[in-house]
Amino acid sequence: MPASQMQLNREPDMSPDLSQIAVSGAVRNAALVQWQEQGWPGPRAESWRFTKLDALAAHSFQPANALASIPAGEGAEMAAAMDAHAIRLVNGVLDATSLDGLPSGVRVGNLLDDQSAQDALRALAPANHPVSNLSLAVMTAGLVFDVDGVIERPLMLVFEGDDDTLSAHPVMLFRLAPAAQMVMAEWYQSSVSLSAPLIGIDIGANGRFDFAKIQAESKTTSHIAATGVNIGEGATLAGFSLSVGGKLARLETHVKMAGENGHCQLSAIYLGRERQHHDVTTMLEHAVPNCTSDQIIRGVLDDRSRGVYQGKVRVAPDAQKTDGQQMSRALLLSRKAEADAKPELEIYADDVVCSHGATVGELDQTQLFYLTSRGIPEAKARAMLIEAFLVDTIETVENPGLANLLNKVAQTWMVQAGLSGGQEDFMDDEAGDE
Amino acid sequence: MTALLEIRDLHASVGDQPILKGINLTLNAGEVHAIMGPNGSGKSTMSYVLAGRNGYEVTGGDVLINGKSILEMEPDERARAGMFLAFQYPVELPGVGGMSFLRAAVNARLIEAGEEEVDQLGFVKLVRAKAKALEIGDEMLKRAVNVGFSGGEKKRYEILQMALLEPQIAVLDETDSGLDVDALKIVSDGVNMLRSPDRTMLVITHYQRLLDHIVPDYVHILADGRIRKTGGKELAFEVEESGYAGITDAA
Repeated sequence: MPASQMQLNREPDMSPDLSQIAVSGAVRNAALVQWQEQGWPGPRAESWRFTKLDALAAHSFQPANALASIPAGEGAEMAAAMDAHAIRLVNGVLDATSLDGLPSGVRVGNLLDDQSAQDALRALAPANHPVSNLSLAVMTAGLVFDVDGVIERPLMLVFEGDDDTLSAHPVMLFRLAPAAQMVMAEWYQSSVSLSAPLIGIDIGANGRFDFAKIQAESKTTSHIAATGVNIGEGATLAGFSLSVGGKLARLETHVKMAGENGHCQLSAIYLGRERQHHDVTTMLEHAVPNCTSDQIIRGVLDDRSRGVYQGKVRVAPDAQKTDGQQMSRALLLSRKAEADAKPELEIYADDVVCSHGATVGELDQTQLFYLTSRGIPEAKARAMLIEAFLVDTIETVENPGLANLLNKVAQTWMVQAGLSGGQEDFMDDEAGDE
Repeated sequence: MTALLEIRDLHASVGDQPILKGINLTLNAGEVHAIMGPNGSGKSTMSYVLAGRNGYEVTGGDVLINGKSILEMEPDERARAGMFLAFQYPVELPGVGGMSFLRAAVNARLIEAGEEEVDQLGFVKLVRAKAKALEIGDEMLKRAVNVGFSGGEKKRYEILQMALLEPQIAVLDETDSGLDVDALKIVSDGVNMLRSPDRTMLVITHYQRLLDHIVPDYVHILADGRIRKTGGKELAFEVEESGYAGITDAA
């Protein structure tokens, strides 16, 4: 059946108050029951120590249930720039026409009533995360992508929306067959009240999944995301998150290294201003031997913004020869900005190389003086140093389309912050041309 | 004729500590002046005060470029007004590409002068030409600013910046420190090439040996925040023979 004809059924009796909502299917019902029991994390929940959801808990949400017609936003341009197939969701509701013409090798199905896929997603989803239950229960869109072979053309999930009375609960499951490879971008730029995507990624043996997530929601949107990844034997996850938008954002990713010789690159940048709150939380589980993981996190915080990085690496007793690295650095541009970091290593194996670190600092005055003493105006000098602080993180992104996308968004943030930087590494291109 | 750089009864403090206690110096176009002095005499403070570094507070006197006071100017404004400081300890800038840095500096000066910014290709050629004389190759130019450079490479890179920015006033702070004989020669030759009737240089050094290579028109002995003695290049040899103690006591 062509994707555009797929009936994505809505819950007919979906009511605005989540406590009275009813959903179909045992899996989603179980999720709903669990959500109703647990709700949003309370003030004592340890993993939510730095990110309080009191304001959300006091709010009653209305999950979107109809496709609104709004003009295409920036996401379409971004997708075009990297020649990606854009799948469009408005207020969390799928525009089914955007499923037409998916690259061959990508098969899409409806998750709304596929209980076995829902089960698989539930197993992948971050445990004890409110969105793992809430969004599965009340999903505003649900898709399952089965991927086989090497997919050349990237996919971009474009999440738009203009209705701040609604909440968006898109749920996506990606299942990569052995040796399958794909590139995916997530673009979030909406003004819904709550954007709560739940994404599951299961990478088969020797497969590879490259993704970049851009969180550029409106200033009034809370973005609470849960992503769960399973990395099979010899498989690679190369993931990058860039959090620049939203009022309150929590990007939580749980990764399980489930097969030997797997590799996980999971990096993130958050850029905060005004009273934004960015939280990047990762949980990386090395369940088997001989896997490597590397996390590089950078934050730049201006005004009264706040950044949080919580990164836990757990190495199981028999996960010998694990190489697990994580490093978080935050740069405060204002006295009133705040950064919190909580890197954690939990190691039960004895033959491993693991390290973690976290620093918080300001722009180096000596470096700033050196630049300005060469005639470079201070604003430009600051921009150059901020870019320098971020550049090695974006350089970990191997896919050029994703790297360009991330660079563009980071540059836009710099310009909006009055920091026109403009580093050009043209020597790389032109030094050898004589 | 207006002096390129005039320092009038300059007093400056770092924290509550007075370091410069009334410096008077006039540098005319075409002249090379050397400032020699023992450790702690205020040599580096003077270079930072001239460049406008934060934390170096001028408590009295004035500094003029072409007759205009620069004390209210920020470091970048002073640089664009023609001041250049070659650092004793050039600063590493990890992640800042060398060519981007050089081009930003040159363009800042061009924009100030109302001239067109230099295009990328033309700039690469310009840099290569100037770098060659200083034995700086492409590999070094491509690296992040000063990152992984040896002591000698850092000093050569300072002179390259000076060659590109073509300042009216060049202050060289202990440019000889950390250099072996060969590196000293390359750096000095680079500086000598930049001697010009339109430019003045202030060469700050602890040792006379640099002045064998960069021969000054005037030598000033700085001690305890004041210029104690001024003479020709032969004064440097006096220091070499009898040390600073003899000279500053006699002053």
